[in-house]
Amino acid sequence: MSQMFATRQRKLWREYPLWNWVGLFPFFIFIVFFLVLPSLRLFTGAFTDQEGGLTFDNLKVFQNPNVLKAYIMSLQVSAITAFVGGFFGFLVAYSITQGGAPRWMRNVISTFSGLAANFGGVPLAFSFIATIGQTGIITAMLKKACFNLENYGALAQFLASGGVNVSDITNVCPLNPYTYGFSLYSLSGLVLAYTYFQFPLMILTITPALEGLKKEWYEASTNLGATPAKYWRDVALPVLMPSILGASLLLFGNAFGAYATARALTGGSIPLVSIYIGQQIRGDVLGNPNEGYALAFGMVAIMTLTIVAYSLLQRRATRWMKS
Amino acid sequence: MTHLELTHIHKSFGASVAVEDFNLTVKQGEFVSFLGPSGCGKTTTLRMVAGFELPTSGNVTLNGKDLTYVPPNKRNVGMVFQSYALFPNMTVAQNVGYGLKIAGKSKNEIEERVREMLSLIQMDKFYSRYPYQLSGGQQQRVALARALAIQPELLLLDEPLSALDAKIRFELRQEIRRIQQKLGITTIYVTHDQEEALSLSDRIVVMSHGKIEQVGNPFEIYNFPQTRFVAKFVGSLNTVTATVVDPAKGIASFDGINLEIAQGLNGKNKGEEVTIAIRPERFNFLAEQRKDNVFDCTIENITFLGSVVRVQMKIGNSIFNMDTFNRPSLKLPNIGDKEQVTCSNKAVLVLAG
Amino acid sequence: MDEIMSKKRTSFFAIFWGILALLYFFLPIYGTLDFSLRMERGILSFKAYKIIFADPRFWEGFRYSVTMAVITIIVSAAIFVPTIYWMYLKVPQARPIMEIITILPFVIPGIILVFGLIRTFSRPPFQLTTSTFKTDILMIAGYVIISMPYMFRAVDVGMRSIDVRTLTEAAQSLGSNWFHVLADVIIPNLRLAILGGSLICFATVMGELILADFLVRPALGPYMVRLGLTKAYEPAALAIISYSLTWFSLGLLQFFSSRSERQKQQVITT
Repeated sequence: MSQMFATRQRKLWREYPLWNWVGLFPFFIFIVFFLVLPSLRLFTGAFTDQEGGLTFDNLKVFQNPNVLKAYIMSLQVSAITAFVGGFFGFLVAYSITQGGAPRWMRNVISTFSGLAANFGGVPLAFSFIATIGQTGIITAMLKKACFNLENYGALAQFLASGGVNVSDITNVCPLNPYTYGFSLYSLSGLVLAYTYFQFPLMILTITPALEGLKKEWYEASTNLGATPAKYWRDVALPVLMPSILGASLLLFGNAFGAYATARALTGGSIPLVSIYIGQQIRGDVLGNPNEGYALAFGMVAIMTLTIVAYSLLQRRATRWMKS
Repeated sequence: MTHLELTHIHKSFGASVAVEDFNLTVKQGEFVSFLGPSGCGKTTTLRMVAGFELPTSGNVTLNGKDLTYVPPNKRNVGMVFQSYALFPNMTVAQNVGYGLKIAGKSKNEIEERVREMLSLIQMDKFYSRYPYQLSGGQQQRVALARALAIQPELLLLDEPLSALDAKIRFELRQEIRRIQQKLGITTIYVTHDQEEALSLSDRIVVMSHGKIEQVGNPFEIYNFPQTRFVAKFVGSLNTVTATVVDPAKGIASFDGINLEIAQGLNGKNKGEEVTIAIRPERFNFLAEQRKDNVFDCTIENITFLGSVVRVQMKIGNSIFNMDTFNRPSLKLPNIGDKEQVTCSNKAVLVLAG
Repeated sequence: MDEIMSKKRTSFFAIFWGILALLYFFLPIYGTLDFSLRMERGILSFKAYKIIFADPRFWEGFRYSVTMAVITIIVSAAIFVPTIYWMYLKVPQARPIMEIITILPFVIPGIILVFGLIRTFSRPPFQLTTSTFKTDILMIAGYVIISMPYMFRAVDVGMRSIDVRTLTEAAQSLGSNWFHVLADVIIPNLRLAILGGSLICFATVMGELILADFLVRPALGPYMVRLGLTKAYEPAALAIISYSLTWFSLGLLQFFSSRSERQKQQVITT
C-alpha cells in the first residue's frame, strides 16, 4: 500500500521539481513568523498614522531635537570607534601577520580576538567600571603614580618660568585621567569600552586580507627599486583599501547597533539611538508609537546602507585578491 | 531467463539529453559492463536502475516487477560507489551490517552475516576498524561487502576502481569477479576503462553521447566493432578514409594504394568513401609471413612498451601503428628505413559512421 | 641589506603593537579580577563571589538562562539540521536566499529585532505575552533567531565536509528511509559542528540582555544589570563568572575538535 503511495509521490515529483522546496517550509514558516512579521510590523508602522492610513508624517520624528541628539551621538560614537578600533586593529593585525611578532604572541592575540570580538554587554561594562571607573583598580594605580614637585626643583623652575603657579602644587599626579575630566559614563568612556570589542573585530576581519597580500608583490616591488614605504603607499594600501574600508564599515554598524554595553555602562544617560528605541519600547516616550517605528526604520536604513556598502567593497576586495 | 529489463529508457535534464532510447535485457547472474567515456550516460543509466534518477520515459523491470517509480530504499539493489561512501561514524562491522539493521534482523543474525561477508572479502580482522583507518582498496572491499550483505537481487557498481592505484585496481577487479561468480548475482558495472570491461564482463554495452553503440561479449566488441566509435574506443586502431575501387571484389584504395577487404564492400558504390580500420597487432613484417595485403612503408618511430613494441610507420601519406611482441629474436629496423609490412584481408574492418 | 634592516624594524614595531593589544585585552580582565577580590578591605578574598553564590536570585537567573539555552539549542538544531540537509540534497538553489536570511539577525541590531518581536506578539492576533509560558516561547523563538547566524554557519560548514549526497544514496540503497538517514548517518557525522554551534548558542543566550529585559523574564542578564545598579564588588565578580563560562564553553569546543583531529591523523595506509 505504501509502495503505491510512494509510486504516486514520485510521479508527482517528476512533474514538479519545485516541490522539493516544500522540505524547506518548516524553516521558512519559522522565519516568516519571527523575522518577517516583526520586520513588516516595523516597516509598515513607520509609514502608518494613528488611524491606520498611509503617511510620511512619522518621519517628522527626525526633527525632534532629542532624536537628533541621539542620532548624532550614535553616529559620533560609531564613527570614532570605527576609526580608533580600525586603526589600532589594523596595526595589530599587521603585526601578527607580516610584522614578525613572535609566534606565541600571534596565537594569543588571534585566539583572544575571536573571544573578545563577541564580548560586550553587561560583563564588559562591569569590567570597565572595575578597572577604570572612579574606584577602579587601574584608576587607583594611576592615581598613586604621583611625585612630589619639591623633589624636582628644576622641573618646578621650568614650570614657574612658564607662568604656572607652583607654590600650591606639591603632589603631581599626571596620570590620573579624572583630573582631565574623564568620566567612564561619558562619550570617551563609551568609546573606550566599545573599542574593546571593536579592535578585535577589526583584527579578525582584516587578517584574511593581509594574508592575501602576496609576498611576491613585495619582492617584485623591491626588485624594481621601491622602498618598503613606497611599497605600502603604492601597492599594499591601495590593494587593501577596499578591505579596510569594508571592515571599518562593519565596525561602524556594529557600534551603531550596540545596546547592552551602553545601557549597562551609562544607564541611558547618554542619548543613543538604540537606547532611545529601548525607552520607546518600554513606554511611549515620543507620544506616538508609530514615530517609534520610524525611529527604528531610520536605524535599519542606516545599517542597510552600511552593509550594502560593505558587501560592495568586499566584492571589490576579493576580485583583486583572487589574482 | 530475463532478470533485468530496461525498456526505451530516455532521460533528459531540461534541454540536454543524457540517455536516449536505452534498451537492454540482462540474464540472471550475468555480468554486464556499461563502457564509455565521461558524459556518455552510463552512470545516469545505472542511477536510474538504482532509483536515484527518474527516467523521463521508459521502464525498469526486475523479475517482472516494474521498478521505475519505486523509491531507491525499497528496491533491494546493492550499490557500490566510486567514492566508497562508507559511513565514517560506523565501524566496518556496523557498515556492513547497516542494511540488515534497517531490515530489522536480530543482532545474532547480523553478526553472523557480517562475519560471513568479511571472510568473503578476506578482511575478518578488520571487524572493529573505522573507515579512516583503512586504505582505499580496503574501503572499497568493505563497501562491496556492505552492498552484498543484504543479499540484493542486483549488484550495481559505479566506477568502483577509478579512485585506486593501478596495482590495487588489478587485484580488486579479479576479486570482484570472483565474488560475483561465486554468488551468481546479476551485476552491472560502469567503467570508462576498456581493459576492465573486457576482462570482467559477460557482455559489454558500449555507450556514447547517451546512446548504445554496440552490445556484445568482449570478443565480439573487440574483434568486430560495428561503429567507428566502438572501434576507436576499445583497443587501439588505425583508421583511414579510402575510396571504393571494386565493390564486388572488395577493393578500396587510399593514397593510391589498393587493399583487399575480406568483408566485402557490398552495398557501396565505386568512388564512394568508406572508413577502414586495421588493428595494430594485425600487421607484421613481410619477412616473417606473407599475408594478403602488402604495403611499402617508411619507419617513423619505434617505442618499447614493455611486452609490446609499437612501430609507427608511414604507408602512402598516412601514419599507421603496428604492434608486435617484444622478443629477443626480434630484428627491428632503424628509423627512416624502408620496409614492407603485411596484413590479412580479414583484418581490414569497414566501419559505419 | 635593506630588507634585513626593515625586518628588524618591523619586528620592534610589531612587538610594540602586539604588547599594546595584549595590554588592552588583559588589563580590564585583570582589573576586574582584582576588583572582585577586594570586597574585604585590605585583603584579597572571595567574599563577593560567596555573596553571589548564596543569592537565590542569582541561581534563579542562572537556572532560567541555562534552561532557555538548552531548549534554544534543541529547537535550533531541530530546525536547522534537517533544513540544511534538505538544501544540500534537493534544493541547492535555495542557498543564496538561505544565506541572506541567516545573516540578517547578525546585521539587524538586537534592539530592533526585540522591538519588532515585542510589538508583533504583544497584541492579537498573535499574542504571546499573556502568560509566562507563552512569553517563554517567544523568548526561545527570539533566541533562536539571534543565534541563527552562528548555528546555521556551524552546521553548514559541518555538512560541507561530508559527502551528503553519496552517503544518503548509500544508506538508501541499503534500505534507509529519511529518518534513518538523518539519525544514523548524517547527524553522527555532524557531532562536532553541532557541538560548536551549540556552545556559541549557549554563550549567546547566557549573555543576552535585551530580550530578557524587555520581556521581564528572570534571566541572568537582567539580574546582572540590577545588581550593577546598587552593588560595587559583586558585579565585578559576576563579570568574571560570566567570562569563565564563555571560556569554559570555548575550551570544551577546542578540546573536542582537537581530539577528533588527532583521531583523523591515525590513518593507516596499507
